[in-house]
Amino acid sequence: MSKPEITYSQLLETNNLIQQNSDETYWLCATRTVQESKIFPVSAYILFSYLNCFYRFPELLKKIEANMSAEEVGDRARNSGIKILAWTIPCFYLLGREMLINWGVIKPTDAVEDVVYVMDFWKRFQLSWHRNNGGLTNKQGGHRAQIFPEQKLQVFHADAFECELGDDLHTSAQEFMATVAQYGFLVSCESRLTIHNHGPYKISDNREMLIRDFRELSEYDFPWLDDVANELDYNNLTVAMIVEDTHITLLDDWGSFEAEPELKSEHIKAIGLWTADNLTDGHLPVGMGNPEELTATFKNLTEKVKEATSKLWTQMAGWSRDQQMDAGALNYFACAKELAHIAGCYEMKDWMMIDERAERFRPLLNDEYGNLFLGELVGMITQPSQMAHGYTMAQHTDKPTKGLSFIPYSILKDEPYTSGVGPIRGGVTNLSAKVDRYRTSQGFMTQEQLNKECRSFTMTCCQEKYRLLCADWVKYHYDSELADELFRIEQKNSRNLKDRGAGLTCQDIEHMRLARVEKA
Amino acid sequence: MSKLYVDTDKYGYQSELAPVEAYNSAVKDLLRRKFSNSDVPWEDFVFELEESLVTKADMIAIEARLLAFGHRFEPSAMSSSQERPEAYKDSGLFNEDFFFEHEDAPTADIDDIGRMLRGAGDNVVNHENNLTGIAQYIRTSDKVLKYLADGVPENTIAIVDDSGGTLTAPILEQFSGVLCAGGTTRSHLAILTREYNIPCLMNVKLNGIKSNDRIEVEVTARSKTADDYASGVSTLAKIWRL
Repeated sequence: MSKPEITYSQLLETNNLIQQNSDETYWLCATRTVQESKIFPVSAYILFSYLNCFYRFPELLKKIEANMSAEEVGDRARNSGIKILAWTIPCFYLLGREMLINWGVIKPTDAVEDVVYVMDFWKRFQLSWHRNNGGLTNKQGGHRAQIFPEQKLQVFHADAFECELGDDLHTSAQEFMATVAQYGFLVSCESRLTIHNHGPYKISDNREMLIRDFRELSEYDFPWLDDVANELDYNNLTVAMIVEDTHITLLDDWGSFEAEPELKSEHIKAIGLWTADNLTDGHLPVGMGNPEELTATFKNLTEKVKEATSKLWTQMAGWSRDQQMDAGALNYFACAKELAHIAGCYEMKDWMMIDERAERFRPLLNDEYGNLFLGELVGMITQPSQMAHGYTMAQHTDKPTKGLSFIPYSILKDEPYTSGVGPIRGGVTNLSAKVDRYRTSQGFMTQEQLNKECRSFTMTCCQEKYRLLCADWVKYHYDSELADELFRIEQKNSRNLKDRGAGLTCQDIEHMRLARVEKA
Repeated sequence: MSKLYVDTDKYGYQSELAPVEAYNSAVKDLLRRKFSNSDVPWEDFVFELEESLVTKADMIAIEARLLAFGHRFEPSAMSSSQERPEAYKDSGLFNEDFFFEHEDAPTADIDDIGRMLRGAGDNVVNHENNLTGIAQYIRTSDKVLKYLADGVPENTIAIVDDSGGTLTAPILEQFSGVLCAGGTTRSHLAILTREYNIPCLMNVKLNGIKSNDRIEVEVTARSKTADDYASGVSTLAKIWRL
């Protein structure tokens, strides 16, 4: 037994974070059924991934922090984009814990220091990712995610091209977003981890902007994209989509959004395209010279994505069930791997392998058990560990349940507990060996080169001089030379705002847009 | 034999669903035996010792015992029943004559304009006009491959089992409409059809619509929102055979 090094305060906070995730898990799952696919044993691989997360996250997150703090990783992620982490890191991990509790493999008093650490890492990352709106999750912000700073939003607002339903740009943009979303679901083995949205951001009385990130499209970490996605020149693409006469009422922690009135194609009034990765100095425009260039860019990308979709689908349809299980589970488990890339410590053997301890349970995970067990864990909330005393009224359902087990406070008194799962063990995979080739904005690199470059590169806005210059500082110092410098970092690749500095407001940008429209 | 921590539970007794309970009880029983035989305190057993004592072979044995009772698993992925026909029920996916016969599908006799109500579902996006087309069940990757090679016939309304977007990924944009027997208007397939501007109903209940039937889908119905699901509001869009 370890000596308690955890404080009452830490435990209170950890259990609070667990409960927040428990409540939101139910809400997110209640509006969707168990996801099924004829190509992938989805529920089974999801459960498999939860186990891998439980056994591997503690050490791998600590490895990231040995290189860079969760907060600093969050700063960089905020400025270059990231996959969905708000729900995935804590819930994948905690649901793995819940499975093992219900199997009797662990007690709620086991791996206590791990649980405290994983939740604390996630909290610090999330607070940094959400620094500009001060929340922990989208839920905390009323299902809204205003991630970008003013200086980046101004560039996206100013440089997006006007479009109308039926014109070439509108048509090509819409087709690209549909095609890349389709491809994204395939890359992510029927999950939506390739697609992330944030916003809405206010543009004017009747316009709002949604930022749509499509991430890991080319050859990068997933072995199944080797030789499939080599024609895709960009690993990540960011679409700024400006909509009119509709209000985005909800953007949840899975990146899904809803609008009132219902968002339709005709509501899209302006569009822009950028790319960013851990080696770009902010977002770089893609095909943003003029509307014709952007239209051609969308069309070209759409064709390449369609080709990659057909190749990938054909490959996946021929996979064995074990390969489907591995790819799906690794895709989920590796949701946090980009943080290791940011910190310059990504290793394929860490993130693209099933831990031996999780692998033991593979034979249990048939399709039927997968669907039913997952359904109980996240939808019905009927596993024995999830039952609470009779006076309990769970958020959303009023039932006496608690989706995720707390750490009992008795461990601070005299109840024995264990600290953690220990170092990661060897890994197994049924997938093809990963080719040591990673697509970046600076060309293809090996894993070693990529880590070295990531460790030595700091985007300008995250350098010490600028990192802590937040919106509240800008508010009172916008007329300073330093504020101008800060804004010029984002403006350097802008078609309309290059070197304009910090003095412009959202309204100024909108007036400039209207003047351009009038002139045209 | 030693008791497990979770054996003493004031509020929780067992899983709600029998197959889950069968598995979870079997794993707990295994843990009880291994822990009891280890003769060490739990804190010395969990993780390190347990890892070597509880093995993949144990999990294979648990499954074998369940199958020995005659249980066969419900398949989801095509690969599952294809690779292990002895462990899974026949998926029926390759039955060319298959059609849905949902007992809770709304049905009615021929109406004034010659339509026979044969089902309903949740509308993803409200469109200006109802959709008419030819129904085609798309249930296997073989069928997708055929369409990938030959192209999807015009006016095809795909009828699919699952709310995922992967089975039909390379041909989805060629459908004029989609009827999905699972999911909600927030599922992946719904997200994709919305992006492609393809009319789609989710969670459909059908009775009596076969491949090659000409059908009409009420995509002019109000779309179903997250609030509707949360509050149990029914906003069904109808499906007729013509």
